[in-house]
Amino acid sequence: MIELKFTLNNQPQTLQVPANMRLLEILRDQLHLTGTKEGCSVGECGACTVLMNKKAVCSCLMLACQVQNAEIETIEYAAEDEMLKTLQDSFLKTGAVQCGFCTPGMIMSAKALLLQTLQPSNDQIKKALEGNLCRCTGYVQIIEAVQLAAKTLAERA
Amino acid sequence: MKSEPRKDALAKITGKCRFLDDYSCENMLHGYLLYATIDCGKIVNISFPNDYDLAEFTIVQTADIPGENIVPEPVSDQPFLADKAVCHYGQVIMGIAHADLQTLKKFISAIEVEYEEEEAIIDVHSCLDDKANQSGECMHISHTDRNKEKTDNLKHIEDVFYTQHQEQAYLEPQGMLAEYLPQSSTMKITGTMQCPFFVKSAVQMIMGKAVKNVIVETSEGIGGAFGGKEDFPNLLAGITALLAYKSQQPVKIVLERSDDILITTKRHPSRVAIVSYTNMLTGKLQAVNIDYRLDAGAYLTLSPVVLARGILHAGGGYCLPRCEISGYMHKSNTPPNGAFRGFGAPQALFAIEAHLDNIGKIIGKSPLEMRLANILRLHDTMPSSQSMKEDHLYECLQKVIEISDYKNKRLEFEQYNQNNEIKKGIGLALALHGGGYTGNGEKVLQSKVKLRLEKNGEVQIFVANVEMGQGAHTTLAQMVNEELDIPLEKVNVQIPNTSLTPNSGPTVASRTIYIVGTLLQKLAAQIKKEINYESLEEYIRQHQQLFPQEFERSFIPDPEDSFDEKTNEGTAYHDFSWAACVLEIEYDPLQYKIKVKKCWNVLDIGRVINYNIALGQVYGGITQALGWALTEDIYKKGYPRSKGFTDYTLPTTEDMPEFQVEFIHTDSAIAKGLGEIPMDYPAPAVRNAFLQATGIMINDLPLSPERIMKAINRSTL
Ligand code: FES
Ligand code: FES
Repeated sequence: MIELKFTLNNQPQTLQVPANMRLLEILRDQLHLTGTKEGCSVGECGACTVLMNKKAVCSCLMLACQVQNAEIETIEYAAEDEMLKTLQDSFLKTGAVQCGFCTPGMIMSAKALLLQTLQPSNDQIKKALEGNLCRCTGYVQIIEAVQLAAKTLAERA
Repeated sequence: MKSEPRKDALAKITGKCRFLDDYSCENMLHGYLLYATIDCGKIVNISFPNDYDLAEFTIVQTADIPGENIVPEPVSDQPFLADKAVCHYGQVIMGIAHADLQTLKKFISAIEVEYEEEEAIIDVHSCLDDKANQSGECMHISHTDRNKEKTDNLKHIEDVFYTQHQEQAYLEPQGMLAEYLPQSSTMKITGTMQCPFFVKSAVQMIMGKAVKNVIVETSEGIGGAFGGKEDFPNLLAGITALLAYKSQQPVKIVLERSDDILITTKRHPSRVAIVSYTNMLTGKLQAVNIDYRLDAGAYLTLSPVVLARGILHAGGGYCLPRCEISGYMHKSNTPPNGAFRGFGAPQALFAIEAHLDNIGKIIGKSPLEMRLANILRLHDTMPSSQSMKEDHLYECLQKVIEISDYKNKRLEFEQYNQNNEIKKGIGLALALHGGGYTGNGEKVLQSKVKLRLEKNGEVQIFVANVEMGQGAHTTLAQMVNEELDIPLEKVNVQIPNTSLTPNSGPTVASRTIYIVGTLLQKLAAQIKKEINYESLEEYIRQHQQLFPQEFERSFIPDPEDSFDEKTNEGTAYHDFSWAACVLEIEYDPLQYKIKVKKCWNVLDIGRVINYNIALGQVYGGITQALGWALTEDIYKKGYPRSKGFTDYTLPTTEDMPEFQVEFIHTDSAIAKGLGEIPMDYPAPAVRNAFLQATGIMINDLPLSPERIMKAINRSTL
């Protein structure tokens, strides 16, 4: 057991957890934040993507000890975060959601990209989302959603 | 064409939508499966590890089954649990439950099963090449159009095509939650499934008289299914129910990804042999003989139904004056193959579409000339003797040729390829897909739907068809709200639950909108007529005492439709959807790699109710088909079988071509099937594009670098 301190969705957290517990379990089982999904548990699908210090990571590969003092952001943060909210709106508008299982992870990866640039090229979007598998959509409307969100945010900025 | 936002999207983008793994209940145990890790053999001994207290675990084996150890399917030949022998890797031997998931998994991996192994059939050639291996009944279609003259100077061409397994790879692994309520003798099941009433029958079968009531409800979100959650949930629900019954506690099983890939159903591998006789002058196929074989896996289960659809699509979109089509099922030692988007049609269409290009290449006709000479036109007959009531396939072809600039591109690429290392190719393919169950299926099923008009003016839709990502619950609501003339927000589809929703049939066969939606639309029209209101809201406000009020309607088949299941003659499907595709590739001979650049699609799916949703179905279906065509392969020769997305390669954002999708006849009265047809044509289109690019005929899927390399080495020997 370790005492784990980190920031989750802008709130400080302190938990007693085994050092090798994965961030995915901390979120889903300990904190009951089930918006983050488990599609493979070995880093191959991207459904569990969260932001760690503003970078997209697979929460199924992150151990508690690696999260110490980190800043973690999950899909639940969208209630407060403008960029996530804009991405959500765009996903809704372009029809980028089908079964929705990949969606939270997709949105988090997209946010990581938009934090880098608000003018992403098509290729940059494809690259940023390459690790997020979606079996339903063929990605077309997801890519359109990210373009739309970038445009909306850039106009607002 | 409207593009209403999806009703389920808000819950999904916020992460609030509950998928099965997000469910938990008090005292819940975690369940898991002990399954065979050999392909075939006898179980000699099972020993449990000594360092665990067995009393902590709930273990179910065949002896614990109060009902019958048979999964109900069209052919009920598969047991829930294996006993003395196993005939495929992944066959479940025991269900085990414990309060702590980690402890449970460690315990299961420490159990030792001793086998006496027997020889197994995995490889598609050893399964399908020898006709003597067939099991079950052979199916046959024989068709001769007496008006067509027999001509001389016919070119005789033979081809054999093979396709491989395909994993559905829905992003959410399969899961099931069972709660047993002893007081009322009720087993409540919640899970990832396409067919709640199938799951109900399965749980009734395994529990027998031990429970009186079985209630099955789908989880709020179902993370993709594609056919993969059609039959396997029957087995999974049965075992989960058994664990809940024995432990008297709720039990939840969620498969790990690797297990989901290793033990669940896949697309049937196929071998399709075509012998044809073609008029050399016109390119017209005069006589065709098709031998269509499917690898059913270790049990036949629903394979006969896939086979029926396969042979009824085997002639493709072509008018074949004389044809003989035979269909066979063979067994192997892989998990039983099951439903997957397309359901036998993609295998059939891959073969006929590729064969047409092969003939053209040999007799000197272009792919377009071959299609124009043979395409099904108005009043032509299909192999089932069904007559064409529309000319929409031809319209799709014309339009796709136009929007893709096919003719010029083909010439341009021929030139380009003469001087360039990278080769370009353009491929053409047609598709048809029959909507709803095959033959008399819908007549037998007699789907029923229900609408409830609430006191507050809202309308609830009760159907057994699930929302698994395809947008059905939004589209169905639109069909009702438009007909009743009330706002879409007021109409909602209830989560399917066998104790509340009437049996409107399974969520399969592109039938949800086409059959169930049409039924709902008719019911709504009937309500509007019966009540005869100006404004429904106003009417309900003034007649509060009459509400809530429920209305039901059952499917009435067209009396003109008849189908003979022995000869496969008659109306195989009341309506077909049609499609034509042109697809452009670049081939890099150094890496033996195909890159799909552009894909033009023209489809007739009848009325388009929600344009964004319809587009999403087309993009998603094509992408799945491209995965099957190019990379997806579980049993790659010389490699261990795939058990994750590293060795089972799905298309990613980086693999996506540019798409153009057009729908025709979108203002038709009827909305036809959509879900499956986009899966049917991309694979042959890629293969035919590769033929143009390289002149090499490859008749096997996938067109992976390994296979291409082999084919090239063979052709240069
Ligand atoms: S669950 Fe983490 S990458 Fe798939
Ligand atoms: S929407 Fe289903 S996996 Fe992406």
